[in-house]
Amino acid sequence: MSTTLTDRPAAITRDAIRDLYDDYYGALDEVRLHDWPEFFMQDCLYRVIPRENFEAGYTLSTMQAESRGMLKDRVTGLTRTQMYAPRYYRRFPTAPRIVGEENGGVRTRHNLLLVQTLIDKPSEIVLSAVCHDLIVADEGRLRFAERVVVFDSEMLPNSLVYPV
Amino acid sequence: MTIPVRPPEGRLWPVDADAAVPYWVYSDPEIYAEELRKIWYGPHWLYVGLECEIPNVGDWKTATLGERPVVMVRSAQNEISVVENRCAHKGVKFCQARFGHSEELICPYHQWSYALNGDLQGVPFRRGVKRQGGMPADFDLKQNGLTKLRVEEVNGVVWATFSEETPAFRDYLGEKFWKHYTRVYDGRKLEVLGYNRQHIPANWKQMQENIKDPYHAGLLHVFFATFGLFRADQKSAVDIDDEGRHGILISRKGEQEKTEAMADIRNFQGDLVLEDPRVMDVVQEFPGEETVGMITIFPSVILQQQVNSLTTRQIVPKGPDGFDFHWTHWCYADDTPEMRLRRTRQANLFGPAGFVSADDGEVLEMTQQGATPSPDAHMILQMGGRAIESTDHQVTETAVRGMYRYWRKVMGL
Ligand code: FES
Ligand SMILES: [Fe+2]
Repeated sequence: MSTTLTDRPAAITRDAIRDLYDDYYGALDEVRLHDWPEFFMQDCLYRVIPRENFEAGYTLSTMQAESRGMLKDRVTGLTRTQMYAPRYYRRFPTAPRIVGEENGGVRTRHNLLLVQTLIDKPSEIVLSAVCHDLIVADEGRLRFAERVVVFDSEMLPNSLVYPV
Repeated sequence: MTIPVRPPEGRLWPVDADAAVPYWVYSDPEIYAEELRKIWYGPHWLYVGLECEIPNVGDWKTATLGERPVVMVRSAQNEISVVENRCAHKGVKFCQARFGHSEELICPYHQWSYALNGDLQGVPFRRGVKRQGGMPADFDLKQNGLTKLRVEEVNGVVWATFSEETPAFRDYLGEKFWKHYTRVYDGRKLEVLGYNRQHIPANWKQMQENIKDPYHAGLLHVFFATFGLFRADQKSAVDIDDEGRHGILISRKGEQEKTEAMADIRNFQGDLVLEDPRVMDVVQEFPGEETVGMITIFPSVILQQQVNSLTTRQIVPKGPDGFDFHWTHWCYADDTPEMRLRRTRQANLFGPAGFVSADDGEVLEMTQQGATPSPDAHMILQMGGRAIESTDHQVTETAVRGMYRYWRKVMGL
């Protein structure tokens, strides 16, 4: 993913939002992990959080990052230090719903199913979630200022390896 | 009546008894059933939860001990009860939510109602309707309550046991482990930061072994090794109790540098730097120089103090080849906002997506995959020799040997 800098920030249209999600999930499904942090603002909030924590007002998350740097560190940790069985992740998002505006950004919601396939195993659902995103125009493209993935799943099948 | 267990037909214990354990311990259904009876429902204290999870009278939390569902409930101002979540009438698991609050415990099926401490209070139609039906005259409410477990609340943690023979909690830990325990659970009020829950498709003992095995930590966990959080060349120790059932790994944080000891770690990433190192912003907060104290309390829980990350990790066995792992991340109630944030950030290292804990979940699943099909083969537990004793280094499997010696004694094998 190349970042093109233009003077005019991209307009946050319904089409542009749709393109953002297509690109985002495309990059993740194809495991282009190094492209992933670029979908976020430098200062951002990323959380994959159990629903019970979210509803209780806890911020403790299964995955968390508070900057693009931390997202890059997640990729580094994953690609250079972690050990895990090979697998495919595939994400099944529903169409985004625009739920509000905030400081020139747009808040969206959509449901997400994350399915994994391990060698010799039937495919299984890793999590079922609703994504609370805040999309902003940044450096001539759309990016996430916030992405909070609240998952219903009570018991993750072992580990959550790749980002959501 | 207890049926004596023998190794399953045709399966033997290896000759090198203390330093080898056969793989059928991970997969045999009869052995698993015996473990439930003799270990989980036997003379052992099991972790139920934190006292701060149920602050008010009538607050309850459900949990599973062994395979049995229970309710931990604040039954009076200064009293916590743990009762089986199984209606005395027909066995309904009457509490379905994780948390709740109620004046009494009521089963939805025929509405038998129980006091918060488990006493049966009322049975609808007990005297019949229009003189028809009803319970026999000799039906005694007192004889038909919920099963009450023995309970001890110890510095914010609630423990329960099904057995009358379990010694007092402090004696169960032993003085040495009482000291380790009270280093972190020192009587200060605790507060929950959040939960993580995962199912790990491996035998429950593997989780205990994993934390009793410091030798893997500097090798498997490249993230730890790289950033000096847990390394083979650090000053460290393994302590075990006299019975061999509980263990602790003690370690000191080192620097991120390439030393001689790192040469054995094939995938050490000496050049790795973090873009945003706030996740590694560690402060020393406990007495002494140790930065890590990982306690295994047999059989149900791991009490984690890894730098500033504090968790209880409860093991809930689900058959011989899987267990649920419930993480409760906590802080002290009087922590500053900065400290809470620091602990929350460090949670990225642990849990189902943790930079180090994900490795453990994955490798335990792989162990189960390799071991199950070959029950008669056995593991080699000779690192650090064959002895079962505390050590002042971590290049050892001593605590794993200790656990199996205790396990064999309890299981009568
Ligand atoms: S089963 Fe609970 S009241 Fe009948
Ligand atoms: Fe580990």
